[in-house]
Amino acid sequence: MSKRTLLAAMFAAIGAFAATTAQAEFKPSGPIDFVVHGGPGSGNDVTARTLATIIEAEKLAPVRVQVVNKPGGGSTSAANYIYSKKGDNQVIGLYTNIWLTDPLVQEAATHRLVTDMTPIARLTMEPALIVVRADSPIKSMQDFIKMAKEKPGQMKESGGSITSRENVVRQIIQKATGAHWAFISFPSGGRRLAALLGGHVDMMILEPSEASEQVRGGKLRIIASVSEKRLPGFGDVPTLKDSGLPGDDVVQARGVVGTPGMSADAVAYYTDLLRRTTQTKEWKKYLDENSFGGDFLGPKETKEFLTTYEGKIRNTLKEAGLKVVR
Amino acid sequence: MDVLSGLAHGFSVALQLNNLGWCFLGCFLGTVVGILPGLGPAATIAMLIPLTLKMDPASGIIMLAGIYYGAKYGGSTTSILLNIPGESSSVATCIDGYQMARKGRAGAALGIAAIASFIAGTFGVVALSLMAPPVAAFALSFNSQEYFALMVLGLALVVLLSGESLLKGLLALLVGLWLASIGTDLFSAQARFIFGQSELLGGLDFTVVAIGVFAIAEVMASIEDGEESQILPVPKGILNLLPNWQELKACRFAFFNGSVVGFILGVLPGAGATIASFVSYGLEKAVSRHPEKFGTGVPEGVAAPEGANNADTGGALVPLLTLGIPNGASTAIMLSALVLWGVRPGPMMIQESPTVFWGLVASMYIGNAMLIILNLPLVPLFAQILRLPVHMLFPLIFGVSMVGVYAATGNVFNLGLLSLFGLLGFVMRKLKFPATPLLLGFVLGDSMEQALRQSLMMSQGDPLTFVERPMSAIMLALAVIILISPLLGRLNRARLRAITENG
Amino acid sequence: MEALPIKNALRSGDFISGVVLTALGIFIIVESSGWGYSSPDGPGPAFFPFWYGVGMIVLSLALIGSTLLRPTFNAGKPIDWPMTGRALGTWAAFALSIALMAPLGFIISFTLFTFLFVLIIFRQPVLTAALTAMFCTLGFEIIFPWALGLQLPVGIFGF
Repeated sequence: MSKRTLLAAMFAAIGAFAATTAQAEFKPSGPIDFVVHGGPGSGNDVTARTLATIIEAEKLAPVRVQVVNKPGGGSTSAANYIYSKKGDNQVIGLYTNIWLTDPLVQEAATHRLVTDMTPIARLTMEPALIVVRADSPIKSMQDFIKMAKEKPGQMKESGGSITSRENVVRQIIQKATGAHWAFISFPSGGRRLAALLGGHVDMMILEPSEASEQVRGGKLRIIASVSEKRLPGFGDVPTLKDSGLPGDDVVQARGVVGTPGMSADAVAYYTDLLRRTTQTKEWKKYLDENSFGGDFLGPKETKEFLTTYEGKIRNTLKEAGLKVVR
Repeated sequence: MDVLSGLAHGFSVALQLNNLGWCFLGCFLGTVVGILPGLGPAATIAMLIPLTLKMDPASGIIMLAGIYYGAKYGGSTTSILLNIPGESSSVATCIDGYQMARKGRAGAALGIAAIASFIAGTFGVVALSLMAPPVAAFALSFNSQEYFALMVLGLALVVLLSGESLLKGLLALLVGLWLASIGTDLFSAQARFIFGQSELLGGLDFTVVAIGVFAIAEVMASIEDGEESQILPVPKGILNLLPNWQELKACRFAFFNGSVVGFILGVLPGAGATIASFVSYGLEKAVSRHPEKFGTGVPEGVAAPEGANNADTGGALVPLLTLGIPNGASTAIMLSALVLWGVRPGPMMIQESPTVFWGLVASMYIGNAMLIILNLPLVPLFAQILRLPVHMLFPLIFGVSMVGVYAATGNVFNLGLLSLFGLLGFVMRKLKFPATPLLLGFVLGDSMEQALRQSLMMSQGDPLTFVERPMSAIMLALAVIILISPLLGRLNRARLRAITENG
Repeated sequence: MEALPIKNALRSGDFISGVVLTALGIFIIVESSGWGYSSPDGPGPAFFPFWYGVGMIVLSLALIGSTLLRPTFNAGKPIDWPMTGRALGTWAAFALSIALMAPLGFIISFTLFTFLFVLIIFRQPVLTAALTAMFCTLGFEIIFPWALGLQLPVGIFGF
């Protein structure tokens, strides 16, 4: 064979090889690790397991999805773990708002969601309800703001940590109206609700699933919703925007993120897998039961959304007087 | 529907053959899970929820609840045999339980733990059936001021748990408070004492500290004493492997103490089984005629905390079922399970879902009976573990500690912490610093600080709020009395000395 | 009643622990001083640490004081270094096995630790030590990763 033919054959072979690899789609080579920042049984763990169960039941993936718990330091353990698995296509994580807020305020939380990991999708935007006791004289957000202005610092709201969504909403409304009321942190949801029901605080912001039973039992009254549209099942509850207040876009976002350096094929695969999962009947039922909303967003839109959202949270926390380190 | 007809309805549900089966399965799984350190009932319940989705809600909650209170039975096993707490609420059981085992009364200790668990567990269910709504109202009346006073009262117990040196006990307590502050402050997001380690942002894990300071340090002390050549005495004969009449009589008050303290603290969303077990232990020591014997292996030192952590389950179900307020990880998951089944825990649950509510309550009576039948015969079997030659037992203790910590925390960093706390525990023993106040401070530290700051935030900085509210004022006064009592004792002795010298 | 000679008192465990705890108390106060003792909303993150830091300093100074002033009837047994050394050596081996757990994995490091532990501390024959080590490790591997699905640390060799 002449040298020219040999070279041609080589190039043809390389070309054919390159073509096949370019068309090769990612297929998971083993179980997919789904990292969650809570321990077994926590809210995120249950969400992740729900997703995994749906994927398995509908046979949407050829392999198992197993939930890996990395609790500790809010989102930090899980974020560190995902970062340490750089380039691994078999590891994904379930993120929520604290994956955005922890790196903003903690020196030691060094890995930011948007820059150090690969956003894949946004699955849900979770609204919240602003509630008071049923026997309270407060009938609307305007009533609450009025009372807060008359007695600055004396009205009380129970909530989680100072970087939680409830406080971000509070900071935004305080800034817009000039009112000021106290925010009392409780580590557990049970205590927050007990504080409100027992009459020790005046108002709290909580998830629709937590509130609905209390409302039905006549113990709580909803005065506004933190959501972009009125919530199904709560049609006569005004949104913050309806009440003339900002803050309805401070939602709890939940979605999936991949390891830094994850291959584009893998990202496309997971995006497609998650999109198909969100179209199943069980997923829609899950959304309805919890009053979750939000359109499914793919990788590029998710990254844009998260970047903007992170910026908004950063500004709000800075204005609240917290030390922002990133 | 009043209590009696409700219970009748409930028993008709719980005694159905399939529900009996689910109850047994739950109790059995719970016992196994409680025995294994590192695996908790919360995790198990969470993992089984998908399987229960197709089940009838009554059957499902019967099984899941069986895991929840069954785990409290199993938690004492490794505490007594290996000095490794199977659950964080079983730490107080280690104190006297392990010492009983070393004296050859392991079987008796295990038996007493099972009996106390049964008595207190049943008490909890009875209280739940009869008093759920008024007790729930009581729980809601507790605000941060009361929680703070309760924690202070719990800390005052350090006076009783310090052994020889009150000074060293107080110092250990303060170190425990410091260890509790490690992590992220809830109110300000300030990272405290994390030494640059991001793994510490969530704070120290209780299991790591407890297993290190108890189990690892104890093994090191045994090696130092040259005991590795001794075999732990295991009595022969079935009668010697169960508690004798004398031991049971000694526990009479402890059974009552554990039941009441456990139930009341279980009802309060801000307290927990761990706090309940320590308070009950301290109370038992306070009223005992021979308090100096606590820590050397007295049966009531096992009965009180074990009863408390079981009665706590009955108490914790009160706010869960009547108000929809969960008390901890396990109850939070049971709440989500109930929601998934379409049952809605809350003010309306007893009226709207009487089958589920009363079926659950009735099944708990049955479950407690099943558990004592299950656990008591296993006692002689478990006690045989101590027949293992010491050169196998000690590696097992190290191994179970490591695996338990890794399973609970998921990283090797915590194993490193485990070894550090083991060294700390050993050094404390050498220097005669008591370990129990350290753990007490660690358990209560966070809750106490949060309650303090919440109270002052709510009263806008007015410290009088603690004495203006009657319940917190009473508890604080009690705490002060307890703290002053050793001083009064000393004053009394000095006075008597003066009288006899002058007379 | 004579006080113990100062030199002995200085070497006693109580004195040393008093000094260490005083230092810890000072560290706590210094470290927390940057965090904010109080804020307009209520006590800050430095509030609680400050007070238990102060308590620690006061009580540990009292401990030092009582060691120097009071006669100590039971100065305690002097440290039996060979025996204590074995305990500390066991601890060192334990800590080392943990440090090796990330690169070597649970199976290798725990087996190695148990083997040396049984061999040296318990003075068992090599065969007994080896069998104990293998049996224990096997037991853990069966119960946790295999039966319960709870992963144990896996090293660079893949197991």
